[in-house]
Order: sequence, then C-alpha cells, then structure tokens
Amino acid sequence: MKLRIATPVVLATAVALTLSACGGGGGSGPSQPAGNSKSFEFWSFTGIDQKVSVEDYQKKNPGVQIKLTEVGSSVETAQALTTALAGGKVPDLVLIQGDDLPKFVQQSQNFHDLRPLGADKIKGDYLDWVMSQSTAKGGEIIGIPTDVGGMAVAYRTDLFKEAGLPTDREEVGKLWPTWDAFIETGKKYTAATGKAFVDNAATSVFYQAVNQGPQKYYDPSGNVVYSTSPQVKTAFDLAIKAAQAGITAKQSSFSEGWSAGMAKGQFAVIAAPSWMLGGIRRNAPDTEGKWDVATIPGGAGNWGGSYLAIPKGAANPKAAWDYITKTQSPQAQLEHFAKSGSLPTTPSVYKDPKLTGLKDPFFSDAPTGTIYTNSLLGLKPFFIGPDSSTIGQEFQNAITNVEQGKGDAAKAWDAAVANIKTAIGK
Amino acid sequence: MTVTLETRRTVPEVETRVRRSISERLAPYAYIAPFFLLFAVFGLVPLLFTFYVALFDWNPIGEHVFIGFDNFTRLLGDARFWNAAWNTISIWLLSTVPQLLLALCVAHLLNHARLRLAVFLRMSMLVPYITSVAATAIVFAQMFDRDYGLLNWLLGLFGVEPINFLQSVWGSHLMIAVMVTWRWFGYTTLLYLASLQAIPRSLYEAAAVDGAGSWKQFRHIALPSLRPVIVFTVVTSTIGGLQIFTEPLLVSRAAPLTCGPVRQCQTLTLFLYEQGFGQFQFGYGAAIGVALFVLIVAIATLNYVLSTRIRKERG
Repeated sequence: MKLRIATPVVLATAVALTLSACGGGGGSGPSQPAGNSKSFEFWSFTGIDQKVSVEDYQKKNPGVQIKLTEVGSSVETAQALTTALAGGKVPDLVLIQGDDLPKFVQQSQNFHDLRPLGADKIKGDYLDWVMSQSTAKGGEIIGIPTDVGGMAVAYRTDLFKEAGLPTDREEVGKLWPTWDAFIETGKKYTAATGKAFVDNAATSVFYQAVNQGPQKYYDPSGNVVYSTSPQVKTAFDLAIKAAQAGITAKQSSFSEGWSAGMAKGQFAVIAAPSWMLGGIRRNAPDTEGKWDVATIPGGAGNWGGSYLAIPKGAANPKAAWDYITKTQSPQAQLEHFAKSGSLPTTPSVYKDPKLTGLKDPFFSDAPTGTIYTNSLLGLKPFFIGPDSSTIGQEFQNAITNVEQGKGDAAKAWDAAVANIKTAIGK
Repeated sequence: MTVTLETRRTVPEVETRVRRSISERLAPYAYIAPFFLLFAVFGLVPLLFTFYVALFDWNPIGEHVFIGFDNFTRLLGDARFWNAAWNTISIWLLSTVPQLLLALCVAHLLNHARLRLAVFLRMSMLVPYITSVAATAIVFAQMFDRDYGLLNWLLGLFGVEPINFLQSVWGSHLMIAVMVTWRWFGYTTLLYLASLQAIPRSLYEAAAVDGAGSWKQFRHIALPSLRPVIVFTVVTSTIGGLQIFTEPLLVSRAAPLTCGPVRQCQTLTLFLYEQGFGQFQFGYGAAIGVALFVLIVAIATLNYVLSTRIRKERG
C-alpha cells in the first residue's frame, strides 16, 4: 500500500531536515583547510578594494590560497563577525572599521593577541594613537591598522570668491586657526551671499572638535567622564553656536539632501577626511576643479580607518599574520596609497616623495597626501570605550535637533546627558 | 448542508474505518509534520529562546549574566520604549486605515462590469508590491526632501514654505505611512476584488431593477459579503503594521537606527534592532521583542473577539 511507504519517508525527511538545521546552527569547530597550511579565509567589506592587495600578495607568494569574501558594508561585516564569533565558525583574518572596533577590543578574548606573533616588534611603525585604539586593557594588541582618514576642510573656491573671501588654500587655512574663527568666517560668508556656509554643525563641527584633545568620553583608566570633560563641553558649545549663527545648511551628512546640496552649491564647506574626497567626486561630478582642500581648525583630526584582526578560532593564524606583516609594512602601505589613495598609518613614509608629490586635479591640484598626513601628527591618544559611539551619537543628535529648530539650545546639553544616561546606564 | 455530508460519509464506512491500520490513522499527522517540525525549529525554538535571553545581560561575544526581570523593569521605565510604541501605533493607524478604505474603493471600481483594459489595470495593482522596499524608501525619501523634494516643490508653487517632513514627528510618520500604503494597497485591493467577483451579478441586477443606485448596491450587497476578507486584511495588516522596520530604517540615512535625531519615527522593531545589533545588548533587545509579542497577541485577540462578533451577527 502506498500509504505505508509514504509515512516513514515523510517522517524521515522531516527528521533529516530538523537534524541538518541543528547542525548548521550549532556551530562545530573551525573548518580546517585540507592539509594546506598556506591557505586562509579573509573577510573584508565592500568599497575598500582589498582584492588588489590580496592579488598582489598571492603573486609575490605563490602557493598561498586566500579566500577573500566581501561580506557587505563595514557595519554588516562587523555584524557578521559578531555572529561568527558567537557561533564559533570564524574566518582567519578580518578587516574591522575603526568605529566598530571598540566593541571587539572590549571582548579581546575573541581574538589572537598579536604580540607573540610579532606585533610587539612592529608596533612602533604605526601612529601611537592609532595603535592605542586596537590595544585592549591588558595590553593585548588585537589589530594592525591598515589606513586612517585624516581630516581637512574641503571648500568651494568659486563660492569663496563670490563672497569676497580668499581662495588660496594657505590663506584659507589661516582664516580659521580656531573653531571660533571658523564660525566667524562662516558669518562673513553668509552675510555676503545669503547662503549657508557649512553643511551641518553635528558632523562638521562637533565631531571634529571633540577629537582634538587628550581626553574624550572616557578617562585614561576607562571611567566615563563625558559629562565633565571640558573638551566635550567646548566642542558641544561650539557646535550649538554654529547652529544658532545660521551658517549651516542643516543637511545631515550622507542624507539625500546633503548629496543634492553638495552638487548644487548649497554650502561651501565640508569637513572632509581623505576618503570623503571620493564621495564629493561622485556626488558632485560637475564641480570638478571648483574645490580645494585646506587645514582643519585646530590643525589635527581623524575620521575613519580600519584594522586587520585574527579571530581566536582561526584555522591558520600564522598565514594570516604573514599576510598582515607583508601588506601593512610602511613601504607596502605607501604603495597602496599611491594606488588607492588610502592614507598610510606609518609616519616614516609621510615625507616620501611618492606621498608628498600626489596632487588631486578635482581639488585644484591640492597636495592631499601632505595635507592629510599633517593632520594626523597633532593627534593624541585617548581612551575609546565600548559606549563611545553611543555617547557621540547622542551628542550629535542633540545638536541636530537644535539645528533643525526643534530643540531648545539652552537645554540641549542636559537633554543629551540625560539621553546618554538612559542609553548606557551611567 | 454540512449535516448531509456528515451522515453520508459515516454510515457506510464505519466498519472499514475500524479495520484500517494504525499507520493510516497516523498518516495525516505525517503529512502535516514537515510544517510543524520546521515551525518548531525556526519558529517555536527561537521564540522560546528569545524569552530565555530576555532574562540575561547577554553580550553575544562576551558574558551572559542572569539578571531575572531587570530588562523588563528597565524597559517599562525607558522613555525610548514608550516613544517607539507610540510611533509604531501612530504609523500603523496612519497606514492601515486609509489603505483599507482606499483598497475597498479601488476594488469596487475595478469590479465594474464594463471596465476597459480590466486585466492590465488589475495586474498593475501589484507593481508596488513587487518593488523592492529599499528602492521605495529611497525614492520616497527624495520626494519628501526638505530642499530638493518633489512634494515641497509642488507646495512651493502655491506659496507654501518648505516642510521639513523627516525632522518632525507627524511628518515622518506620514511619510512612512504613505510608503506602507503605496506598497500594500494593491495587494489588499486584489483580495477585495477576488471576493467582489464571487458575488453573482444577478444580485446587482435584481437590486438595480428594484431601483438601488451604485452606492446602495455597494453598501447592501458588496460590503456584507466582504466581511470575512475585511477581517482577514485587518488582522494581517495589523501584524505587518506593528512590525514596520525597513521603511523607518532607510528614510533617515544620517541616523538610521533611531530614524532621526530625536527618535521621531523609530518603531519598536527598529528600537529592538538598535539595542540588539547596534549596541550588542541582546538581552535588552530580546525583552523588547517579548514586549512586542505581547502587544501583537493583545491586538490579535481583540481582532479575534471583534471578528467572531461580526460572524455571529451574520449567522
């Protein structure tokens, strides 16, 4: 009878499905690449072009198999890594974006301490404050920096000319040695043209100014001090001042209106790390040659940058470490800069003609290599904690709220501090 | 009718049924087993696990500390939770009520006997439904933009000052509700249309002979026969509406996880996502999930009570 056969078959299928589902989620140990000690798995994110480095390395090291996966955006890659770490099936090498790094540094037991592999010997090659961000409380180094963003101001020379402001990058830099002078320049620009000066206050003023000092949201021993740190309050007040001066276009960074405003000259100035230049080029292709790059008020700054890390469960940490040392040496980073424009994290090459000689025609032939690496030298290491990004986001939200005309400027600081207390519980 | 069917089946087959083997009696369970097994693995276990995680301070790559009901007490005192709950209900009402009314009207129009291009018009209702949500969200965000949006340009022609939709509470809710309505009303329309077409034409013709106009025909013939499908769409759009996630995530590119600087359009699911996957607080995120579960069960129960009452009225 047909039915008698069908019943066990259906049951067996169902059981098999259940079992395979359990096997997938249960997470057994890391997969061993079959007998080849030279192959490893590498997770990167899109838009940073690790393929070039991988192919280069494979050419120089025949026999090494690298399985490169571009998981998604930097945030998606960090989320996938989190899931992988929780499940136990991890890649041998992973690229982590600087903003996502603190969460992983805080749980450093999930990663190989790179010191025994040789990180102790090469850590002096890199900027000290960049290294400090991938160093855990106990001194474990879990990441080697691949690039940084640096910081400068991109401005429209044609719009500056209309407003009667100087257009030469040296003179423009001298207009704003401090953030107060920056706001004053903005007032002059807006008075002369009736247009907004800078895109927004939260990102272009607060986010930059708050990074220019030795202590941000945490003290060096890791206690939260955001509500008493003078550097934070000063940066916050500056941003509120800029918002109230009416010199901002009220366009939050990366919003649709912001991209459109950039192309239409709605604002003349953007705080721009090195990787932002590509974004300006894409958003406003018709403005070629109308931009230039000047130093940031306060002189120093950084936004962005990534790290290579090796998860604890990696099948082949030695091969991954060899890749790190070969592709992230000062000379290799310099070569990568010449190809892709991402800034080296190794100060020894900052005076190299390959770096200083690079000029960008879209930005009126500005020597971007020199301008951006100079902004990196003035920065001091500060403690970044697990809640740093939450704290920063709440402060920026409060500033945006005032800028949009919804929030009361006098109460903004207290509101931000209260929101942070709710969010992080301290 | 049901009575006759029952008797016809039971009387002659009593003896054979008893004789049939146990395996045959189990067969129906085997047939439905795949669904229930898959449901258990991918539905029930994760659900129960969520309840379990909600009792912990749970870092996915760190420690799991048992804290009892602390996550829930924290949740009840968290202004962000109540804000998200209010936003969810507001967006749900703004999107569901107009959507169902609009779908009802459009279905009635599409059901017209002498409609030209009927198939084309009916099929085109599904276009918004098959468009990717991400694309929808990006296009609508541009339309509602403060400085360069189509909508504000149109309003500007009549001398209206640009409205900052995204940054205001009601504006952002309206914007998301429009997106949800646009996406789902075609689907709902087709459901209504299918029910309308099941009504015999002769009923309308008889009503017309008796002198009933278009509105009276709709009110007294179409609407009563649509009741079951209306109940169905209310239930499904309630469940869907309370879980709105993609639209609020994508409209505010500057602060996606909070849907703007003051969480003006952050829904419960987005709040859950922010806490769980933005902050790595899986325990707290799970507690939000449990709260959402309770809310949906409560509203679904209310729906059930109302719909059985409607059914009784009919019966």
